[in-house]
Amino acid sequence: MIGGLAGNPAAHDALLRALLPILRAFYRRRMHGREEDIEDLVQETLIAVHQRRATYDPDRPFTGWLFAIARYKMIDGFRRQGRFVAIGDFDDMLVEDSHEEASNAQADVARLLAALPDKQADAIRATRLEGLSTHEAARRLALGESDVKVSVHRGLKALAARVRDTWK
Amino acid sequence: MEMNSEDLIATLAQDVRPLRRHALARRLLAGLLAGGVATALIVGCALGFRPDLWLAMHGSPFWVKWIYTASLALCATRATASLARPDTPRMGWMWIMVVPVLGLVAISMAELAEAPPAQWLAMWLGGSWKVCSSLVLLLSLPIFGGLLWSFRRLAPTRLRLAGATAGLSAGAWGATLYCLHCPEVSAIFVLTWYSLGIALASLLGAALGPRLLRW
Repeated sequence: MIGGLAGNPAAHDALLRALLPILRAFYRRRMHGREEDIEDLVQETLIAVHQRRATYDPDRPFTGWLFAIARYKMIDGFRRQGRFVAIGDFDDMLVEDSHEEASNAQADVARLLAALPDKQADAIRATRLEGLSTHEAARRLALGESDVKVSVHRGLKALAARVRDTWK
Repeated sequence: MEMNSEDLIATLAQDVRPLRRHALARRLLAGLLAGGVATALIVGCALGFRPDLWLAMHGSPFWVKWIYTASLALCATRATASLARPDTPRMGWMWIMVVPVLGLVAISMAELAEAPPAQWLAMWLGGSWKVCSSLVLLLSLPIFGGLLWSFRRLAPTRLRLAGATAGLSAGAWGATLYCLHCPEVSAIFVLTWYSLGIALASLLGAALGPRLLRW
């Protein structure tokens, strides 16, 4: 996205292509509609992402921005078709579902880890995200076991402090 | 003919002009400025700047008016910028706009307390109460138009609220420019008739928002 904002066509192309499956999954999960309708919405969202990319704030999560556009396009689509949606379904649409939360969380974790020194980030990734044991992680990272433990400990502490700061 | 999504992406990716930093703010500012220039021209050419403008700028009533309208305008513009993004952050801070209003209420009360009651009506109605609010509304229109142009590349998702803040912003900036013409001095006049004009502009924006800001 950042590359696309700077006017790099290849980065922009890659971004839009990467969004295709995400958006298709987003609309399929909510619409139970015909494939053409879903593809129309996906395309409209891509056009909006392209034309209105100035509204993305690089300091905020990209997925929040993307799904806000996708949700708006879906509701606008219903409005245009004059289709009525049962209130229950509508609530589901407005609520961020687990898939969306998971992508948001993934993006957040990646962003947080990027702010740590490489050694700490690698140690956390290996032990906490991939679920390796300290022994396995130490072998993969070519570090001593105590070094891995200390890195994980320091890294998590730094992350906790960072998260606390942003919540204040 | 339906285009398939891969072709669409290829077409879109060919047209990526680099965005400058703060592209959203620039876009809004451009719309505001274009509308503001048009409004300033109307004030200057059709209504005329008040002849004692220079003198008035040395007195406090002028600045009370200006600070009131400009602070509302700044808050409303800030809110409009937030609502121009699809993932709008919380808007609770907008309540800070009651501060200038309450401030002007306090100044009005103080002025009335000092004046003999026989003058109260004259202070409230001034010489132009019949036209003041409609002129503020009229002067807001070019600015509102400029903001509508800005929004063509922006992505509001709460259209009524975005329309309302755009209208509020246009109304308050319009009123700020109207100060260059209007010779009224009492705070209670500004509190009533300026605020009424600004509120009308905001209502108009809220009414038109869902229709004009759709994308």
